[in-house]
Order: sequence, then structure tokens, then C-alpha cells
Amino acid sequence: MSDATDAIEAIDTTGTAARRDPPDVTVLTGAAGWLGRAMMHRLLADGRTRVHVLVHGDDDRPSVPQGDAIAVEVGDVGDAAVVERLIAGASAHGGTVDVIHTAGVIHPKRVADFFHTNAQGTANVVDAALAHGVRRLVHVSSNSPFGTNPHLTDVFRQDEPYRPYYGYGRSKMEAELSVFAAVRDRGLDAVVVRPPWFYGPFQPPRQTTFFRMVRRGKFPIIGGGQQRRSMVYVDNLVDGILAAEATPGATGKGYWIADARPYTVVEIVDTVGRALADEGFEVRGGGTKMPAIVGRVAETADALIQRVGRYQQQLHVLGEMDKTIACDISASRTELGYEPRVELYEGMRRSIRWCVERGLEL
Amino acid sequence: MSPSSRPPSSTGGTGGTGGSAARPSGLIPHDAHLRCDVLVIGSGAGGATTAAELAEAGFDVLVVEEGPWVDQDAVVPFSLEQMDRQYRSGGVTVALGMPSIAYTEGRCAGGGTEVNSGLYFRPPLDVVEQWRHDFRIDGLDLDELGAIADEVERTIHVTTVPGSPTPASEILRRGAAALGWRHSEIPRWMRYPPGGDAVTGRRQSMTRTYLPRAFAAGARMLVDTRVDRLTTMGSVVNADVTYGDGTGRTPAGLIAARHVFVCGGAIQTPALLQRSGMRRHIGATLAVHPTVKLTAAFDDEINVPDDVPVHQVKEFAPDLSFGGSASHAGLVALALSDEWGTFAAAIEQWRRMSIYYAAITSEGRGRVVALPGLRDPLVTYHLTGRDRHLLRSGLARLALLMLESGANEVYPSFRGAPVVRNRRDLATMQHRFRASRAGVMTVHLCSTVPLGEHGGRCGADSFGQVGGTERIFVNDASLLPTAPGVNPQATVMAFAIRNARHFADTHRPGSTAPRSTT
Repeated sequence: MSDATDAIEAIDTTGTAARRDPPDVTVLTGAAGWLGRAMMHRLLADGRTRVHVLVHGDDDRPSVPQGDAIAVEVGDVGDAAVVERLIAGASAHGGTVDVIHTAGVIHPKRVADFFHTNAQGTANVVDAALAHGVRRLVHVSSNSPFGTNPHLTDVFRQDEPYRPYYGYGRSKMEAELSVFAAVRDRGLDAVVVRPPWFYGPFQPPRQTTFFRMVRRGKFPIIGGGQQRRSMVYVDNLVDGILAAEATPGATGKGYWIADARPYTVVEIVDTVGRALADEGFEVRGGGTKMPAIVGRVAETADALIQRVGRYQQQLHVLGEMDKTIACDISASRTELGYEPRVELYEGMRRSIRWCVERGLEL
Repeated sequence: MSPSSRPPSSTGGTGGTGGSAARPSGLIPHDAHLRCDVLVIGSGAGGATTAAELAEAGFDVLVVEEGPWVDQDAVVPFSLEQMDRQYRSGGVTVALGMPSIAYTEGRCAGGGTEVNSGLYFRPPLDVVEQWRHDFRIDGLDLDELGAIADEVERTIHVTTVPGSPTPASEILRRGAAALGWRHSEIPRWMRYPPGGDAVTGRRQSMTRTYLPRAFAAGARMLVDTRVDRLTTMGSVVNADVTYGDGTGRTPAGLIAARHVFVCGGAIQTPALLQRSGMRRHIGATLAVHPTVKLTAAFDDEINVPDDVPVHQVKEFAPDLSFGGSASHAGLVALALSDEWGTFAAAIEQWRRMSIYYAAITSEGRGRVVALPGLRDPLVTYHLTGRDRHLLRSGLARLALLMLESGANEVYPSFRGAPVVRNRRDLATMQHRFRASRAGVMTVHLCSTVPLGEHGGRCGADSFGQVGGTERIFVNDASLLPTAPGVNPQATVMAFAIRNARHFADTHRPGSTAPRSTT
């Protein structure tokens, strides 16, 4: 007879049995981005694979270290010829090739950019990966194809119905769908990794705003702050991506890669404040309490603006702040052997130190 | 037997017995004047248990039931005919609000236990403990309640299905297993013949269990009898009743009782109390489990017209639960009707379809208001924003489960719904969903007369005695302080038995038998 134990037995744990070695060449898109840089530095530090990276423009070149084990391609991931050249180059080098696809745009000027970069870019990567017999593609997605949880204590399970959050979410959903369709219909070996809001070294300048707001007690806490957020320290995310890349049984699945548990917004603000104080910063403490209506108004404004093809970052972020976005990483643990090593307080301290070392003003 | 036979209820006034099964021994003729120790109004999960307990304790018990006595073998389970005969208003009544929520109430001897899914959930003791605390319920002993639940389980024969579950049930199990979602077979209070399969069960409803027990202990019962009003005069409560006799005539009667237990369910109980002048914390806090539904189509002929699935998915419980609904052709048509324009053609393949629901715990509240001159009360219910999100998310997660279980098409029941064939369609479905366009319905109506000592919330004391009265008690789902997140029948029964025993311990049978007031 069936009972609840069926569900437990049904979980596929074959993935953790054996991990594959790194490939001869790893192709990394979005290498000048926040996650891309963290990934690139890890791959170079491990030194077990050649790395062929794609950056968007010539001004991104300086962020790529020079060396024998690294090659750089410059161009737009939304341009199929660029991606073809990138992966053909890696393939020509001989041996096995994996692709880690992190390129994406999250705060563009226009909504159309979402689709060009995120959806078309991913379709280009899928096509080139198939054309050149890539061993495995790891596609970095997002929580955005799934929107927000229906209530404060709900947690997204591994598999959830899509409910894209505006333009970014729709473009990332289309990207996932093109990956899964290629796995199903064209024999691609691909895994989707879904990080929520991430933090840590290599952060772009906009993130220093986040620290400044917390220091000055200006971070918006909407409607009581008991809404919860899954977050992921960027090195945890790198661990998760490498685990997904190396786990044979993960083909065709999507995995949440996040810290061990979701945090409440109040906890996030308190923890970041504590981390700043412990790093020697003066912190005014607390956040700025706002009624729930602020979040709803911001979301509505965000929706209206996106409908006419424009995108406004502050509105978008504020509109999401009153929602719970929480995910369950248990499948990533059991099937990929992923284990988050850093939690919020420690991760934020490292992140603050990284900023300070680079002379960024917080 | 003739399944279409109407309960004979002649002008001479005998309660009908529907079907040709032996006439239950306790049924008595309609009479202009009757009296008793304890009058029990309603014969469902609350009323039947109350009647059995008090009759066995030596009280002279008279049960009145608004509906007919229908022998179970006289109707096809989950059929339209059953809806017509055993439900109030043919099966659908509506709570006004945005959206309006349809609800069903059994209206027959045995009440909802004759017509519901027959799935059994033990009283959730964590919820009961919360009630004890929040509503200040005195003398509520969880061990005692657990022991009563054990007794109930033996009496109504809780068991799992023999052999394999039905294909419609297997669909839920398979989809949940594929997603790694917690699920289980819910036991039922059924008896299965030797060698019988999943659809041969006979429900151990009140007409087969507690009502015969009450009759054996001397209880009497009137069917087709509606109580219009209760009036207390000294040590007597008079019940004005109207007898339905099938001829359109509605002769009146009067029943005099020393004590009255109102067990008409969470809508009819507060309505009767309000008609009788009792209003404080009566009817203002209706709680329900709103549900939305979908119809899923598969390759094989999986439809089971006369039974419901026994599997439920509890991965997201208590906020969200998934299960299967009755799915005969008429109900499939009804489920498709919310978007009939595009879904109508699908009815041709109803044998390959089955209906499933997503139920939520609601933070909304409803209200029951008896209006002068109207037979039925006005019922309103309002969902909160969180409730609407949860309904949307629940319907989408259920649709995902159906796709994972191999559904070719999923037809969500709301106006403007798309046919869902793949995961992209799930996004479209969630984008278009509005609770106000959905066929939201509910069972599990509760909480209109919450019990406890919390003066600001409770309409009855810790054992069901209505505030400000000495002789009137409530003993049904109305007492449960909130909707418990699972099918409440066993919880209703356990509380009713507890309260009835408390009454028997604190009152003496027959010592001051009331006189007829005429």
C-alpha cells in the first residue's frame, strides 16, 4: 500500500553516489558579473580545468585575470555568432567541455533587454552546446520564474509551477523552458540551478547602497518584516553550481541553491547591522518601518512601468520587499550533495571586508 | 427497491423511510403535541452521537430531523439524485461575498455523514490544544478526547480500502510521489464485504451506527420536521415545529422539552438560535475551508462515477491540501462550466476525466444572519488577500501534480481559465486566476457558536451551553472555534460525545419531567 514513505523513497539519490571530474575546458558566460567573477576565481584557484570566458564588452577585460589556463571572448550573449565562436573555441581545444551559463541581465534599462539577454542568450548557449557535444550545461536561473510564496511561511519545493515576476521572471522562465525542451527533445545534458537573492564578494556597486541603507537605518521594512527571504552567499552558490555540474543523475532537473534556511527581513537587517558594527562601522540600527501599502503601491507602479517597456530598479526592488521568497534546498542536499558552508552573519562580514579592501564607501 | 421512491409521509403524519429497508424502530408519527426530556435538533455527526449518549444514560430523547430518512442502499453514492434527496436545496447553497462561495449541507437523517466522502481524520490535538488556550475551554482533557476518538473509530469502523485504490485515487498518489510531496491514503469509516474492492464499501454513517444505538436505548425520532423557534417558559423549552408531509401542507406542532441540544450544523444552528432571540456571538464567525477545483484528462478511462479518491496530498498542510472529488458526468460538466465557452467540447471525454480540489485554511470569516420572513439565513463569507493567493497557488500546484501524473489536459474551474497542457500554461493560468472568477466552494462549515469561556468570542460555554440560557445547548460543528484544517467530522463527534457525557454527569434524567404546555 502507498503511504507517506513512498514519497521519501521516490527521491532520487543516485546523484550523490559519484561525482564526475572537472572537464578539460569549462566555458563560463557572464564572467565579468558578480557570480561570474566569483566562479572564475574559484575555477582558476582550483586549477583543474581550462577556462574560456565570455564578457560583454572590452571594458570588462580588466576584470579577467591573465594566464595560460584562461581565454577570453568578448561579445553579446544574445548574439548567436558570438556564443557559437565561444563554444567552438573551447571545443577546438580538445577533450570534454562543460558550460556554466551565468550571463544575464537583472536591472536593464528596457524590458526588451531581458528577453534579448536572458531568453535569447540562453537559447544561443543551448544551440551551441548541442552543436559542439558539450558534456553538461549548468544554466543559472533565479527565483523570479516562480514569483513569490502565497503566504509568509510557505516554502517553494524543488518543483513548482511557474509564476514569473514581471519581465525578468518571464525572460528567466523562457530561458529555463528552452533548456528543458533541449534536454527532452534534443538530447542535451543540462541542469538548472536556481539561486535566490545573493550576497558576498565581487558585488556590483549597487550593493553598497544596501549596506549604506542598513547603516543609516533606512532599509525599508514593510508590513512588520516577518516576510522571509532565502538568500545565498556567493561562494555557497559556486559550491552548488559545481555540485550540479559534477552530478550525473541531475540531468533535466532544477535545484534551489541557497543558504541553509530562509531569513526574515527583520533578521536580515539586524544581522547586517551587527556585521557592520563588528567590522567597526557606526550603525544607526533598525530599518525604516513602512506600512504594507507601500509595497503594493511600488509593485503596481513597477508593473505599469514595465508594461510600457521601461524598467525602474528601485521600484522593482521595493515592490518585492513585502513578499516572502523562500525555497527548500533539501533536494539539492540529498541529490547533489550540496551543503551551504557560510551563513548570513559570516557571509556579510566577508562581504563588508571585501568592500573595505577595495576602498568602497559603505 | 425503487431508488426514485419518495419518503412516504402521509397526512396522517408518519416519518418517511425512503426505500424499502426495514422502517427504523425509533421513527414516530408526526404529532401536534409531543414532549421529552431532551430534544435533539438535527441527526448528523453531532446530533446522532448526542442522542445515543443521552438515551444510553437514561434520558428520554426525541430527535427531530428536517430531512427525510433515506436508506443508503436506495441511492447511488455521489449521484445527482443523492444531491437532490439528501442535500439542502439540491446540493448548492451560496454564501454571498467576492467571490460568492457555494456550500453544501446534508439535509437527511444522518446529516452530512450520509453524503460526504467518508474519509476519516482523527481530531488534530495540536489544533485542539490551541483552541483550549485561545478560547479558554475549561475541562478539556486531550487524553479523554483521544479515548473518545478511539471509541468512535471502533463504532464507525475506520479502515483502509481493500486491494488497489481506484484509478482516480492512484493519479493523486502517483503525481505526489513524482514530485516528492507528502501524501497518504486516508482511511474511511466503511465496511467492505469479503473479497470486495475499493468501490464496494458501505459507509458507517449515523443511520447505521449512532442512530440505531439511540433507538435501542429508547430514543424516538421525527423526520421531515423543521424547528422554527425555541421559547423558554420556566423549566420548559418549547419548540415550534413544522411537519413536511410531501403534500405541500405544512401542519404545525409543538414539542416541550426540559433541555434542547441544537445540532443542525454551522449554518442552521445559529439561524435557529437567532430566530429564537439568541444573538451574542452567534453566527458572526463562520469558518470554512474554501476549495477550488480542476478537471484533469488522461489517456485511460479513469473516471469512477460512484466513489471519491482516498488519497490526499498533505505536503503543504495545513495551509493547503489536495484531494479528489466526486466525478460523475454531471459533476464533470458542472466543473467545466466556469469556462464553458472553451471547455464544453471536453465533456465528450468525461470517462477519461476526474475532478480534484485544492482546499485552504482561510483567514477570512463569514456570517450567518437569520432574516425575518425568510426560510433560509443569509450567509456571507469574505476571503482575505492571503486566502486568494493561496487558492491560486494551490490550484497551480495541483495542476502541476496532474501534469506530473500524466494528464494530457487540465481544465481549471475559473472564468477565463486556459487549458493547461504544459508548464508554460501553468504560468498563464496563474496570471489569469482571480478568486472572484473561480467556482469557490466549501464543505467543513464550522465555528458559528464557538465554545469556551472567552467572553469576547464564545457563544457557548466550555460544554456547549448557549450563553444566557439554562436549557439550550449547541453540540455540532458550530462549536469548533476554528476550521481545523482537516475534515472535522471526527472532531465534531468527539466533542459532541464529551459534552453529552458532561451533561449526563450533571443532570438527572426525568426527575422533573416537563408537562405539556397545552
